[in-house]
Amino acid sequence: MTAPDGAALGGVRVLELTDESADYCGRLLAGLGADVVKAEPPGGSAARSVGPFLDDRPGSDRSLAFWADNVGKRSIVVEDDEEVLTLATAADVVVHTLRPAEAAARGLTYEELSGRRPGLIVCAVTPFGQDGPWADYLADDLVLMALGGSMAGCGYGPGPDGTYDTAPLAALGDQAWRTASTYAAIAVLAALVWRDGSESKTGPRGQFIDVSGHECSASMTEWHLMTYLCSGEPYRRGPHPTLTAGDGRLVAALTPDFLGPHVFRRMLEMLEAEDVAGALSDPAFADPGHRAENYGEVWRALKRLAQKHTAEELYRLGQSAGLPWGVIRAPDEVLADAHLAARGHFVDVGAPLLDRTVPYPGAPFVASRSTWVMDRPPPRLGEHDDEVRADWCAP
Amino acid sequence: MALTGLRILDFTRLGFGAQATLICGCLGADVIRVESTRHPDPIRVMPPFVPEPGGRGEGFGAATLAHATGAASANRGGIFYKYNTGGKRSITVDARHPKGLGLLKDLVSVSDVVTESFAAGTLERWGLGYDVLREIRPEIIYVSMCGFGHTGPDSSHVTMGPTAQALTGLTFLVGLPDRAPAGWSFSYLDHVGGYLGAVAILAGLLHRRKTGEGQHLDVSQLEPATALSGALLLDSILNNRPNRRPDFPTGNRRRYPPTAPGGAYRAAGSDNWVVISCRTEAQWEALVAVMGRPPWTADPRFGSLAGRFEHADKLDELIGTWTAGRDRYEVMDILQGAGVPAGVVQDAADRLERDPQLAARGHFTPLSNGEVGPLPLEGVPFRMSATPPRTGGFIDRGPPLLGGDTTDVLGELLGLSAGEVGALAEEGVLS
Repeated sequence: MTAPDGAALGGVRVLELTDESADYCGRLLAGLGADVVKAEPPGGSAARSVGPFLDDRPGSDRSLAFWADNVGKRSIVVEDDEEVLTLATAADVVVHTLRPAEAAARGLTYEELSGRRPGLIVCAVTPFGQDGPWADYLADDLVLMALGGSMAGCGYGPGPDGTYDTAPLAALGDQAWRTASTYAAIAVLAALVWRDGSESKTGPRGQFIDVSGHECSASMTEWHLMTYLCSGEPYRRGPHPTLTAGDGRLVAALTPDFLGPHVFRRMLEMLEAEDVAGALSDPAFADPGHRAENYGEVWRALKRLAQKHTAEELYRLGQSAGLPWGVIRAPDEVLADAHLAARGHFVDVGAPLLDRTVPYPGAPFVASRSTWVMDRPPPRLGEHDDEVRADWCAP
Repeated sequence: MALTGLRILDFTRLGFGAQATLICGCLGADVIRVESTRHPDPIRVMPPFVPEPGGRGEGFGAATLAHATGAASANRGGIFYKYNTGGKRSITVDARHPKGLGLLKDLVSVSDVVTESFAAGTLERWGLGYDVLREIRPEIIYVSMCGFGHTGPDSSHVTMGPTAQALTGLTFLVGLPDRAPAGWSFSYLDHVGGYLGAVAILAGLLHRRKTGEGQHLDVSQLEPATALSGALLLDSILNNRPNRRPDFPTGNRRRYPPTAPGGAYRAAGSDNWVVISCRTEAQWEALVAVMGRPPWTADPRFGSLAGRFEHADKLDELIGTWTAGRDRYEVMDILQGAGVPAGVVQDAADRLERDPQLAARGHFTPLSNGEVGPLPLEGVPFRMSATPPRTGGFIDRGPPLLGGDTTDVLGELLGLSAGEVGALAEEGVLS
């Protein structure tokens, strides 16, 4: 493959030995222009057996979960680990999901890999990291969301007696693994910056990166840790405020008074223009203390507003008053967003087995110079056997 | 450290942008926060507040409804401490004062990266837009991080984490079937947006290394989120299965790959839960053995993964009778010992006080800054063998006091004497 000159990682080779927990890391690196080669066993890598499947029919090239996180990569089937080591000698980076014992048993430890290729960057993404009392414990995303704390903070609120009749909830979509994958990509990029640094070189500058899914999951709960440190009380789960619009759809409706008095002032102007301000027009409400004590009035006014409008209108009305409101959409409803379309976000890419293209989420940011590379469909199993051997293993 | 020698002039506020520069600071970059005494970062002055020594702080809760009155010290805002370790330094400079603008331009000339999270157009109004930055230093990497980004029809819209989570489908992914989404109780996308902000900074550096070019990388809080729903878009488009349907989302139940039992089960205590997640026959067999083979486990409905998944409601109820009354950590440990994925639903107190893995890994670093701390703070959750990240950054210190590094930074980088800095302060330039 010719490396795109305009891509940040053009010319960087990444060998990937991951299961579905960390495939998203390589997807990000591929988007940045790296040549990401997925080395798969003859039966295909683990993600190929994860549904949903195209037409709900399983098959190694039919997993949509695999497609979503492997778009932009190449696939090579390797017969044994000796061949993995051979490929590693041509790589800049190896990303894998091998537990320490498995890496040792297969002869794929950092020492062995970097022995073949001095300067290699090796990144291991595992549930709990390389050491510690839980290092050998097992986890899927649900277990990581539980241990990390996201789950304790999410779910429906308690009943009037303060007790919960529903369990804490974890988001779907493998969010703990995606955070770990993203941190893995960040660590790889930082290791590349250091490897190629302008300081005088003192031998090969590779290294081993140890990413713990548990630690990644634990660090993504925003204010929950600080709330506990400050107040001594852990946060008790419950949803954020929403408004039900006239069409029955929901709008996330924050009223961030803590940003300053202008927030309420502009909201009040909007509510008055819509003729639903009611008691809020009483100047006493300009005082934050009075408002806090009588917040029910604010919500009554907002509910009156919500009933008059569709969710889309309500979202835009709130935004016109400077409020950070947003319609609650299902993921596939995001495809129709005109703003993202104008930014060129979704990219049509070919699909294995089909004579058509499919829109994929594209660049995670808009860069004025660096190209985001999205021109390669998810690879069929072993699709690039010959090509990769020619590119990477030619004498 | 990996980014030693790199300098970031950092205008970010709140969580999203600050998460990006926190990562770079933990990797060794010199991150110089440019702040204002008159318009402090809201997370400096809003609850929860770090308590005075020996005192008790104040929770977030209802207090968010009222704007902090100004009585609060700008150095006690708790959420600020979440996002501003990494050795960040703080200077206060009034960008609207001509001399302040001059100082900032001088700082741009000795920086590699400029980051900011204001509304689109704010830096331009100050006279620090990308065109100006580029004129000062052509190879500057400018990373903007605002809700909807700098281009597009809705670029004036504002977000906080929950806004972006609603708009990108993530709120929808937390909930039980046939109920309104429960959503997230925190700004997950402040983190994710910040991660991609860090990716943008690092990509900009690697690009510059190859080509010598600087650039503007425009990060919004929306685009980093769209790939987080995995296969749902493809499932909707190719299998004609819209995401919004009565049996979806599925709470804690995972269909891909099918997991049964899979979910959170009540343990001893008032609101204590433990997650169990079996996707193989071997895991189910091990679970049955640990439970002591109660007769119901021989029910033919539970004889295969498909059967267990189909009858998951009944199965969950029965598993719950086993976990009920048992200590949640004991359940986790005994199941893990038998090869069954399981984990306690841990809150913040559990992570700090009861999680032996986070403790053994040194996940929390106690840091102080002269006025506050030591507090157990989090940096980046990964290790690098040759360039270990540090939560206290290159200066190994807690989050900066507002303006606490002004004299040092202006002296070190611009050669100003303490007397010159004092004179600028007198004129109101450093506010």
